[in-house]
Amino acid sequence: MVLWPHWLVAVIIIPLTGAVLTPVVGRDRPKVASLWSLGTMALTSVAATMLIIRVAQEGPFSYMLGDWARPYGIELRFDEFSASVAIICLLGLLALMFSYRYVAASIHESRIPYYYSLLLLNLTGMIGFVVTGDLFNLFVFMEILSLSGYALVAISGERTAEMAAFKYLVMGAVSSLVVLFSVGLLYAVTGSLNMADISERLAGVTDRLPVMLALAGMAMAFMVKAALFPLHIWLPDAHAIAPSPVSAILSGLVVKTGVFGLLRAYQIFYGAGNYDLTGLNTALVWLGAISIVMGAFFAIFQEDIKMMLAYSTISNIGYIVMGLGLASQYGMIGATVHIFNHALIKATLFLGAGALIHKTGYRTLTDLRGVGKSMPLTCMALSIGAISIVGIPPTAGFLCKWYIALGAFQAGQPFFGFALVFGALFIFVYYIRMVNSFYFQQPTHPEILSVGEAPLSMLAPVLVLATLCLVMGILGRLPLSFIEPAVLRMLGTFGG
Amino acid sequence: MINALWNNLDYAASIVLFLIGLYAVIAKDNLIKKFMGLNIMETAIFAFIVALGVVDGGDAPIMGEGARAPFTNPIPQALILTGIVVAVSTTALALSLVIRIHKQCGTIEADELRELE
Amino acid sequence: MKKALVSALLILTAIPLLLAVGQLPPHGSAKSPAYEHVSAYYLEYGAEEAGAENIVTDVILNYRGFDTNGEVTVIFTALAAVMGVLLLGRESRHPVEQPTYPPSIVVRFIVRLLAPFIAMFAIYVILNGHVSPGGGFQGGTILGALAIALTLVLGENEARRLIPEGARPWLQAAAPLTFVGIGLAGLTDVGVYLGFPTVETLTWVRTMWLLMLEIGIGLGGAVIISSIFWTMEGER
Repeated sequence: MVLWPHWLVAVIIIPLTGAVLTPVVGRDRPKVASLWSLGTMALTSVAATMLIIRVAQEGPFSYMLGDWARPYGIELRFDEFSASVAIICLLGLLALMFSYRYVAASIHESRIPYYYSLLLLNLTGMIGFVVTGDLFNLFVFMEILSLSGYALVAISGERTAEMAAFKYLVMGAVSSLVVLFSVGLLYAVTGSLNMADISERLAGVTDRLPVMLALAGMAMAFMVKAALFPLHIWLPDAHAIAPSPVSAILSGLVVKTGVFGLLRAYQIFYGAGNYDLTGLNTALVWLGAISIVMGAFFAIFQEDIKMMLAYSTISNIGYIVMGLGLASQYGMIGATVHIFNHALIKATLFLGAGALIHKTGYRTLTDLRGVGKSMPLTCMALSIGAISIVGIPPTAGFLCKWYIALGAFQAGQPFFGFALVFGALFIFVYYIRMVNSFYFQQPTHPEILSVGEAPLSMLAPVLVLATLCLVMGILGRLPLSFIEPAVLRMLGTFGG
Repeated sequence: MINALWNNLDYAASIVLFLIGLYAVIAKDNLIKKFMGLNIMETAIFAFIVALGVVDGGDAPIMGEGARAPFTNPIPQALILTGIVVAVSTTALALSLVIRIHKQCGTIEADELRELE
Repeated sequence: MKKALVSALLILTAIPLLLAVGQLPPHGSAKSPAYEHVSAYYLEYGAEEAGAENIVTDVILNYRGFDTNGEVTVIFTALAAVMGVLLLGRESRHPVEQPTYPPSIVVRFIVRLLAPFIAMFAIYVILNGHVSPGGGFQGGTILGALAIALTLVLGENEARRLIPEGARPWLQAAAPLTFVGIGLAGLTDVGVYLGFPTVETLTWVRTMWLLMLEIGIGLGGAVIISSIFWTMEGER
């Protein structure tokens, strides 16, 4: 195994080069664009695997770009949290595979090379976001992934899509600016832009108010990106109206970058050692709990299947943020692993829904009645996804929610453990609606029964993801013990 | 406290500008005005960051003959160069969306658009 | 009513913001942490270590070159985004022959007269970025603006010929590709991505690479700005 240090740069540069060359390669040849982007992501996955193997064996490691020492140059730092590149590459590959047929039907032909380019840029931005160790670099990669996200929502050309994209853009751009403001504030008081360096220097700062303002700014901005209540209003329209593979990436990955940003902010401030974060933690726990219940509640009343899934995302982000805010060991481990598991589950659901919409042309639960008979494999995958997201063992959703509940008890706040169970009950209700509609209702549109199963390029990713939901449920201990050292390290410096 | 604020007047002014821009984004109905507010906010943040680097009586940070210390701080200038490019990119995309919305809905006022939904 | 509410909220938000900002290190002082830590190092060693007399160019191309790599990717993303949102057919098929409101003859004459000089100035700004204020993106913007002015004056079809059809996607990708190219060259030579040789005898290599980066950024930026304008204009 060649454990070359340069894989860390390669994992960003390969998708970046692939993305900028896609319009060149794929000009007038949409199929070539598709294969080119698949090849690029496959190479990136190889690089990501190397990195994860290394961090599992040796712990976190860095790469100094330009050979300048920290803090004079930009540092790329791969710790256990950065292992998220695995899920980014996996979902990227599967979404690209799914797009092969899907975009030909729903997006104007001349836009297709740019669709693949934007999707690769989105994935590049996210990969860069999780592996960088420099705060301003974080901002730049955040902009790459945000801009491509806004465009991908609007790419289908429908009127509603463009309005949703504009709303998303305005809220996203404001939050990016607040991040830039916070970076400026932190630079003003510490003189550095490197995250580890800022963490060390923050301990010695005497005027606390600008630092607390920077923390509040970053927290609020990342809450907008993560669509936490009450800043979630951009999400339902944007995720529901985007093309299905894009929805899978947005709900599964892009929205998690908000959570990841909060995690990095926590690392910086916990690392400094003498900051009181209970205010922020309390706010996150309460807002998380409200998100869980409210998201699930609204999902029950949605007719459009993708709207239902979008509100479900809001609910699950609530789980993750609540776990982070509990600031206890179990809570944080459960939350960070749920980032990974929810991505798998939500991608299964969105890609499955996309397959249904592609073959039948219908989007609402009423119109989709009886489709379980004509598309059995797809609906089976969707049912597995539904069971996973409720959190029934042995699927992927169970262990992390169990850990978050344990974390609530460990932090001495059992009320939130009950909020979690309450939310799960709501989730159960709306997924029962979905399963009921597929299998047990008379079809509203009889022609649904003669629709064939989804094409292989769309069916394969859905089945792979559904299988992974089960596999990750059975192998649940693995990611939890993988993340544990990173969480302990972070909480340990705080003494909490 | 007023004294401290007077010393840091540049920072305070950029905060006020930021909030004016935010008001425009939230309270104005026309899409173009909303996103002009966004541009004002972006400019305010750039002004804030560059002001962080100013040194009284400082020279431009260019070495060579005739350069005397103290120099203004080069890092904020590098930061906003990237920031301006990001702002331009967001502007380009937002304007493209407005062009399409106008073409398809005939209006760019947010209240009229809400009725059309 | 809504406006009054929003104004009240914003004035309330202003108070903690202003308080916090008042506590920042005093404006204009040379003793602030921002000035003494990393910047002091750059100012002292930048010119010899990083190869350019303009310290800002040192920072953006050498010390923090990866950020600029990201920045050119952002502007490329903007291009891909605009194309993705607006394109409805191949770019070259445009029936518009003359500008809708042709500018007066005076304007047309002056723009066409000045165009070569503006272009020369832009190239000067690009190439001189490491000894005076300026640099790749600054010059690229001037070139892009020149292309836009020429479009307004000459009409779209004439102006589009400035950038040949077949080469256009390559030129649009030029800036990120130049970065990756130089970065990989640094990898093979110095051992780290975007590394520049600091050895005495190889300073000419470093200067050459910096220049290539500037040209790549400038050219790429100019083509991207013009392409965005032409795509938007085609929607008339």
